[in-house]
Amino acid sequence: MLRTLRYVGAAVAALTFGSMQPAEAQQRGGAATVATIGEPNTLDPMVSAGDLLGMITQHFYETLYTFDKNWELTPLLAEKLPEVSADGKVYTIPLRQGVTFHNSQPMTAKDVVASLKRWTDLASRGKLVAGNIQAIEAIDDNTVRLTLKEPFAALTALLAFNNSAAVVMPADHMENPIKEVIGTGPYRLKERKADQYIQLVRFDGYKPREGEPNGFGGARKQYLDEIRFVPVPDANTRVEGALAGQFDYADLLPVEAYDRLRGQSKTEPLMLESFGWAMFIMNNKQGMMTKLDLRKAVQAALNAEDMLAAAFGKPEFYSVDGAMYPKSYVWRTEVGTEAYNQGDADKAAALAKKAGYDGSPIRILTSRQYEFHYKMAQVAAEYLKAAGFKVDLQVVDWATLVQRRAEPAVWDIFITHSPFLPEPALIAPLPDTYPGWWASETKNKLLTAFNTEMDQKKRIAIWADIQKLIYEEVPFYKVGDFNALTAKSPRLQGFTASPWPYFWNASLKQ
Amino acid sequence: MTRYVIRRFLGMIAVMFTVVTIVFVIVRVAPGDPAAVMLGPDATAADIATLREKLGLDRPLILQYLYFLGQLLRGDLGQSIFLNMPVLSALAERAEPTFFLTLFSILIASAIALPVGILAAYKRGSLFDQVATTLAMLAASIPSFWLGLIFIQVFAVRFSWFPVSGYGGPDASFIVRLSHLILPATTLGIVSSALITRFTRASMLDVLNDDYVRTARSKGMGEFQVVMKHAFKNALIPVLTVIGLTAALLVSGAVVTETVFSLPGVGNLVVSAVLRRDYPVIQGALLVIAALYVLINFVIDMLYLVVDPRVRY
Repeated sequence: MLRTLRYVGAAVAALTFGSMQPAEAQQRGGAATVATIGEPNTLDPMVSAGDLLGMITQHFYETLYTFDKNWELTPLLAEKLPEVSADGKVYTIPLRQGVTFHNSQPMTAKDVVASLKRWTDLASRGKLVAGNIQAIEAIDDNTVRLTLKEPFAALTALLAFNNSAAVVMPADHMENPIKEVIGTGPYRLKERKADQYIQLVRFDGYKPREGEPNGFGGARKQYLDEIRFVPVPDANTRVEGALAGQFDYADLLPVEAYDRLRGQSKTEPLMLESFGWAMFIMNNKQGMMTKLDLRKAVQAALNAEDMLAAAFGKPEFYSVDGAMYPKSYVWRTEVGTEAYNQGDADKAAALAKKAGYDGSPIRILTSRQYEFHYKMAQVAAEYLKAAGFKVDLQVVDWATLVQRRAEPAVWDIFITHSPFLPEPALIAPLPDTYPGWWASETKNKLLTAFNTEMDQKKRIAIWADIQKLIYEEVPFYKVGDFNALTAKSPRLQGFTASPWPYFWNASLKQ
Repeated sequence: MTRYVIRRFLGMIAVMFTVVTIVFVIVRVAPGDPAAVMLGPDATAADIATLREKLGLDRPLILQYLYFLGQLLRGDLGQSIFLNMPVLSALAERAEPTFFLTLFSILIASAIALPVGILAAYKRGSLFDQVATTLAMLAASIPSFWLGLIFIQVFAVRFSWFPVSGYGGPDASFIVRLSHLILPATTLGIVSSALITRFTRASMLDVLNDDYVRTARSKGMGEFQVVMKHAFKNALIPVLTVIGLTAALLVSGAVVTETVFSLPGVGNLVVSAVLRRDYPVIQGALLVIAALYVLINFVIDMLYLVVDPRVRY
């Protein structure tokens, strides 16, 4: 989940690092070694929303749509963007012809229909829309029709994600768990040795789209013979490996390593701005945080800037920003953000008194698996104590946190983070069912309007109302935005920094 | 002797059964759920429940335990939830790096510790003894991850003599794979040598003042022969025990070093399995580690017979 959907970061990075495109012609050949943060739990991108999984599997599994360099939707396995009926309920999806799977079978509408059905059965994103789907059917060999019960504006975006992804698999290879990895991507899986490497080789039968590369979309060129994803869980070792030139790309490095990576001959740092945002989720279902005034007291007590400074060090690695989207997004609005970053102990104490706070400790659930969560929790605890709260900081491993947060009786606040989603409807804590259980009537009314509205301008206006409501009802507290640091070898050319780094279009200088 | 071996063998089974039972209970009592980990943070309670059912985790604990014991009796350690392969295969894949890492570490540790320990005892109170004792204490105090990172920075990054991490790519030969073990084995060897040095020194000091050593000298035997043939041989029993236990610890306990060097060893497998709550892997790996531990102890006891003819079982 580290990187599920980090869009703005990539958009900024694309602007920042666009100049890294090579001036000379790219050469074909070579094997790129990519150091990742660990081993993915599975190679089936439908069953998990893991970022690492999406980063790896996007090389061999493809979706109908994807995102271009401006994070606009663009077709991938589909021939073009869907034709949507006037009532917003019927999506007609023409497919590209001549696409073959890694087992040489041609991709047809039958495969796409079977894949979409599997996606609605298995994938958390698929399930978001499953109840709203009336039919998925093949009109002919190259056209699929998806009929909804109610309009759902976020559908095409959902179909474009590369984790919990609506990837297309052959209809006769739909097992769960998958037995054989067969996709349509530019690279195919040759060998996986868990905790050692995942070896991908060029798929010779790949048919790229016409034109030039454009973000995740456009033509996908296969310069590299091989891509090797190597799990290196220790972040310091990834830094050393980059410095030694052992890795052509090293993912997610500690921001403190930035100075060491600069001016090196075998590697160079890449900074992805606004990579993600951290949040404190309040328990809206059970316990003291169900009282609005107490949630507002916490909101008043917290000082976001200090929490970010403790978590990320230098100001260039974070941004004190209360808006739910950074500046480069159409969804950006500052409505309601005056309630952000107050750090006002007196106001918090008054609100707590008004709420009848009885001195019980606020149970904050956090994990050191994400060290920045823990550091934020420590600073938050001090600000809450200054406002007169008692705090019970419960530090557990991430697996325990994920389990405990599902039990409303055992926590008041838990800390998590998210990338910036190109589609606000998919922000994790918005649905009633997400732990935190924000089930406000006003929210549901606004969300329904937002999801069924097909006019983008109207949707932007509704989103501003939702952000305002977030600051009024305080279902969660946005701490701020943070950047990510990665590194690449100078010999890796044609590579564009991205939240989910991809290595088609990249080549190695021989 | 035969009776002793049988008794030890039965003891081994009892130890392993106890380990298996304790591990089975602990991993299930501990919070965290493999289904939740596998599905990721966005999973709904219904998704998790469905996967738990599929994995058989919704069954009563006692049924899961009996099923697990039944599998064990058939020599089946189960199927990894995350790796999509049998636990035995996952362990087999990691046996090579772990075996050679342990072997090299012990060889390096012994190569440092035995001569230093012997000489320090022989020259008790000398400058050499004091330096050796201080260095041994220093080596025991150094965290292995710190030493590993220093080695990486010096020998892999600055001089490019060795790879930083991993165990070689898909086309790596056996020699190339072993070259990935030099830095981690040296790290572990140095850290492990501290304890062995101190035991060797202490054990040698015990025997160097014994009557038979004095007798050997009075017979006009050369000092090298006195020290190595008479004293060292008798001092070897506690040293062997420490070497054996260090080896057993390294099989499972080299986790930090394996993590720093990204070695796909058994220790790493266990840690990632614990973090992911991959119950079958945790159980299977700990069972194998316990078996190795008991086996190494057994081998040490058998070596006593060779080293000391007075030992009888």
